Amino acid sequence: MKRRELLRAGVLTGATAALTSSLSMAQSAAQTTAQSSELTPAQRGVDASNDLSATGWKPLFLDEHQSETLIILSDLIIPATDTPGAKEALVNRYIDLLLAAEPRESQKAFLNSLGYLDGESIRRCKAAFRYLAREDQDDLLHALAFPTGNSGWTGEAAGPDVGHGHFELLKQRISMAYYSSQIGAKELGWDGAAAHGLYQGCEHSEGKHK
Amino acid sequence: MTWAYFDKDPLQQTYDAVVVGSGATGGWAAKQLAEAGLKVVLLEAGRAVNPKEFTEHMPGYKLKYRDHSPEIVRTRPIQKQCYACMEYNYEWFVNDLENPYSTPADKPFTWQRLRVLGGRSLVWGRQSYRLSDNDFKAASRDGYGDDWPISYAGLAPFYDIVERYVGISGAAEGNEMLPDGQFLPPMKMSCGEVLLKDRVKEQFGRTVTIGRVAIVTQNHNGRLACHYCGPCERGCSTFSYFSSPFTTVADAQKSGNCTLITNAVVSHVNMDNGQNKANGVTYVDRLTRQVKEVRGKAVILCAQAMESTRILLNSSTREYPNGLGNSSGALGRYLMDHVTGGGATGYLPDMKIRPDANEPQRPNGIYVPRFRNTPSSKKHSQFIRGYGYQGGGGAEFNFSAQGYGTSFKGAVKEGVYSIGMGAFGESLARWDNRIEIDSNLKDAWGIPALRISMTHGDNEAALMEDAAAQAAEMLEAVGAKDIKVQARVEMPGMAIHELGTARMGNDPKKSVLNAFNQTHDVKNVFVMDGASFVSSACQNPTLTMMALTVRACGHLIDRFRKSEV
Repeated sequence: MKRRELLRAGVLTGATAALTSSLSMAQSAAQTTAQSSELTPAQRGVDASNDLSATGWKPLFLDEHQSETLIILSDLIIPATDTPGAKEALVNRYIDLLLAAEPRESQKAFLNSLGYLDGESIRRCKAAFRYLAREDQDDLLHALAFPTGNSGWTGEAAGPDVGHGHFELLKQRISMAYYSSQIGAKELGWDGAAAHGLYQGCEHSEGKHK
Repeated sequence: MTWAYFDKDPLQQTYDAVVVGSGATGGWAAKQLAEAGLKVVLLEAGRAVNPKEFTEHMPGYKLKYRDHSPEIVRTRPIQKQCYACMEYNYEWFVNDLENPYSTPADKPFTWQRLRVLGGRSLVWGRQSYRLSDNDFKAASRDGYGDDWPISYAGLAPFYDIVERYVGISGAAEGNEMLPDGQFLPPMKMSCGEVLLKDRVKEQFGRTVTIGRVAIVTQNHNGRLACHYCGPCERGCSTFSYFSSPFTTVADAQKSGNCTLITNAVVSHVNMDNGQNKANGVTYVDRLTRQVKEVRGKAVILCAQAMESTRILLNSSTREYPNGLGNSSGALGRYLMDHVTGGGATGYLPDMKIRPDANEPQRPNGIYVPRFRNTPSSKKHSQFIRGYGYQGGGGAEFNFSAQGYGTSFKGAVKEGVYSIGMGAFGESLARWDNRIEIDSNLKDAWGIPALRISMTHGDNEAALMEDAAAQAAEMLEAVGAKDIKVQARVEMPGMAIHELGTARMGNDPKKSVLNAFNQTHDVKNVFVMDGASFVSSACQNPTLTMMALTVRACGHLIDRFRKSEV
């Protein structure tokens, strides 16, 4: 690798001007602060936690029906109890944001699963999932969440449960979106502090690790 | 610092030493040489780093994509395979589009690296283990490969120096495969880990110890004790884990004898015509793309194993047509990376400890030193060498709980107590595992890029098979349930322990470097990083790389004092 080759490679622009600077150059080289384009948003201190609650929010990827269906589904998967649920955590908005940036295959997989939910709903109850009574929505989800497994009649394995697969995909995305939110962090009991003292580890005597 | 010295253009003078790379070993080389009074220029391909950009205390919900940024997928499709490359810090990792390399289609290799002051010492896993003569003299014991030209006794004093300065917390165990060192107080083990340690000792006679880790557990050398916030790889505002910019590199600069030039992407070593001597290096300014030269009496490559070798391969001359210092033909050969992919995980249902979001986060796990093919164990029939495990146990939120609704929400918080371990196995040095220059590929600065050809072999696969089975047996011994066993061989590169390609040796016909990391061929060119390893052992290599550097620098300083350079 020679200077000549670098020149040929087209990277050399004004090499002769390179030997002009003095002390200031040595110092600036050592103390170059990063250009902002070379810092991640987090390293620049950007706080995006309120982005999703902006008024006038519109989905980037999902259509209105899909978005409404996702809100209702997420509220069934992680409902408000004595703590807020997925709907308040704006789980649908975060999933929509991710989907908009994802490759086609994962977009398609998500829409397939959401579509399967509507398909099953129409097959069983003659209406799309979002229009069912809460009870019927729950019945449908229960069937998908807890597949019966082996056939009671023949004893043969029922094969991979397609519905359960779709349910799990949707549930995992909703669960991830919920527990990664600020509401989700509170749900897990986080007090908001970055550090909590020394790690104490096991303080039990022999044979009492419970 | 004297103005008489510094009031000069760094490119217009001749330094005693040009150090290429500011990571774990480059920092040490700069510190040792500059503190000894030599004039050093330290070149770093990336930018400077500022503690203001540390994000270890920022909660994930403040990230726009909560660590699923499409920017990482777009610009770092390889780097994202590293657990430490996150939406928080991905700019520290190289942009894969600017830093290409090639592999044969059937030999994938993942090369995970940083170009920023401190290099991978900013995000490293910090596990720090000594090698023993079971490693340095392994070839004499089992007949495979070559011994190192150094012994444990020769390196031990330098391990001491490095450990005392860096601050390694750990517990002494008196284990024949894992020499003890100069330890700061060990971190504590969880209940499940204590249980594992006791049962494994009783039933298998094996050692389970807390990880030996480059994190200070008490205030040390001006750095504050660890505050257990957890994610070291995002930076540390108290500098509790060891990273070179705030330790060795800072010391080098404080000496007044070290000039740091960032954004200097070194392309090749320059030789004096007719004399078998290097006179410095050429670099491309990362931002302006200007080509510059810096002169020195000694050139010390600490650029990362494969990068240092790439520089030598790109420095061919008429005398060395196949790469500088490559009269042996061994340059680029014997690439190693610890084999991973064998291990097991399970649950301890008897542990009634619930997960706690406000528990201090210990940035460390447990370690099981190698127990196969040791002086006190039988020779294994299926493989040579061995592996060590890293792992841990503790209560976790159960995000994979069954069902949905209120019961799911409750089950997540109820949690599970999980325990597991994964192996790092020795990667045998093989001639065919190599790097070379890909004549059709250049990086964004016009510098010819590498072609990496590496596979793990049958011995590595056998190690992982055994590691999986043994992990499962040890977990069974503590009453673990739902044990999941994994006996894969991960893609090379996944351990991020690249070693070899400019191996040490006493025979100049078979090795690139002598026992002091000096090229046999050109007496003022040195490679002080993982490239010099003769065998990989199975321990995490950075501590050994740093000890080798301190040892080699001591030797070089002596030669300067005797005016031999």
